[in-house]
Amino acid sequence: MATKEELLEALKDGVINYKEDQVKEAAQAAIDDGHLALEMIMDGLAAGMEVVGELYERHEYFVPEVLMCADALYGGLAILRPHVPKQDGGTVAQVVIGSIQGDVHDIGKNLVKMMFDVAGWEVYDLGRDVPLEKFVEEQMRTDAEVVAMSAMMTTTMLGMKKVIKMIKEKNPNVAIMLGGAPVTQDVAKLFGADGYAESAGNAVAEGIKMISRLREFEKQKK
Amino acid sequence: MAELTPIERVKRFFNREPVDKMPFFTGMGMVLRPAIQKLGYKFPSIHRDAEKLAYAGIESARMFNLDSVVIPFDMCWESEALGNEISLYEDSEDTLYPTIPYKKWAELDQVEITPDDIDNIMDKYPMNLIPEAIKIVKNEAPELALGAWQLGPFTQCGQTIELDKVLKAVFKEKQRVEDILDKFSDMIINIGNALIDAGADFITLREPGVAADLLSPRTFKELIAPRLTRILKAWRSPKVLHICGSTDPLVEMMWQVVQDSGAQAISFDIKNNLLESRKKLGNDAIILGNYDVFKLPCAEETTVEEAIEGIKTNIDGLVDAVWPGCDLWPDIKPENFKAMEKTAREYKPGPTPAVGRL
Repeated sequence: MATKEELLEALKDGVINYKEDQVKEAAQAAIDDGHLALEMIMDGLAAGMEVVGELYERHEYFVPEVLMCADALYGGLAILRPHVPKQDGGTVAQVVIGSIQGDVHDIGKNLVKMMFDVAGWEVYDLGRDVPLEKFVEEQMRTDAEVVAMSAMMTTTMLGMKKVIKMIKEKNPNVAIMLGGAPVTQDVAKLFGADGYAESAGNAVAEGIKMISRLREFEKQKK
Repeated sequence: MAELTPIERVKRFFNREPVDKMPFFTGMGMVLRPAIQKLGYKFPSIHRDAEKLAYAGIESARMFNLDSVVIPFDMCWESEALGNEISLYEDSEDTLYPTIPYKKWAELDQVEITPDDIDNIMDKYPMNLIPEAIKIVKNEAPELALGAWQLGPFTQCGQTIELDKVLKAVFKEKQRVEDILDKFSDMIINIGNALIDAGADFITLREPGVAADLLSPRTFKELIAPRLTRILKAWRSPKVLHICGSTDPLVEMMWQVVQDSGAQAISFDIKNNLLESRKKLGNDAIILGNYDVFKLPCAEETTVEEAIEGIKTNIDGLVDAVWPGCDLWPDIKPENFKAMEKTAREYKPGPTPAVGRL
């Protein structure tokens, strides 16, 4: 039987080197051996993703590698997440996420979604090419704290501004996160957003930083 | 000295002959809302109608004094011809370009591009409409240059199969990706030559899916650059290479493609350090692009003065013509865009690094 440390290492290494089968096996073994699922997620999967973020920032990894790492991470998360008790960092908050109408690209959106999934948020993924009103309706229905939107094309970006206006009018406390290739800091500011990620890659870097902060938070709780 | 016509200006420009003033034009998508409103067209109706395509392009150029018309406007033509359905958003009041909501090939091993697709793509709907539109433009607006464009093979691949699968397959199924890219490259060569035969005065090869924030420079060098070179080499007429996204790490490799293929110019989007690129490529390179297509002409908050400053910055970045960083967004503010054109023509009347003045 593998030790806890060996399982954590197998999870971490599997994510870094996009070994999906290794991650699944280690995740299942961790559950079978009675280890804490949240610890496996945070110190195994998320720790691996943190290294992936460093590799990305050093330009050793690019988006294809990160996508494969994300596949491995999800392989483990699907096994571990159902075993995280609610009071033990289960659902911490809610986010509505989607690519804006007119945009059928969703790589960046899916990478940001991964960050929320790891963090244990309840994610309402509206998919892509989402009509503007749908973001507002879903936020109202779920009372989500965060709405995250992405657009990969300049031509669809303006829709975000309309959504922000509609949501903020109804609920000014909702945090809005924007992402996508044409979205700059200036644009996010002009549109009245609360945060932004400029590209799929940047979304990864930002998302991973958030995962790191979450790990720190979990450590402090212990 | 008589003023050159727009087409004379653009042709001389690509031939590196002195021109009368700074060219203000584009080779990427350019259809402007004020122009189609004047024509009484609805945005979704212009994309698959050769006449509307032509007149919307002409009016956009004439209304704002651009040197070129660009045909077509959206990026779904080839994918549609290969059997995908497109969404035109006919019920939307917003400016939404056509998209491909669902792709018929879910996995790479399902992709089947036949010799007929490659050799006879221009006979298939809707590709057959583009030469028709080009011919109308040439007849109706002979004073304007006409730019056509094609997506590069990697981006085109992403228009036909989900991009994340293509990206992952670069590692997992490299040979399969190479085979598919080769077929797309053959198809793109045929399309480009058909557009030139129909009357395009120049053509732009756009490969936005390979920027350095997506793919590694090594992958660009090994997988992408040889195919871009092959395509550009096979096309006649003046030709431009454009890559969207982060290009600073790719500048020299892009320029190598331009030189090896006999292309005339290189174009960058907003995420490029123009002065650094000029330093790397020298004064012989015709450099285009880089101005912000949202902030300067479209953003509600951008004043005319700020739009003018943006164009001055672009010219100070040592471009050889004022040409946008990407597709021009249709919802421009006319006062901003007109001021941008005027500034482009008047700000620095002397020669640019690669092109002289009459």
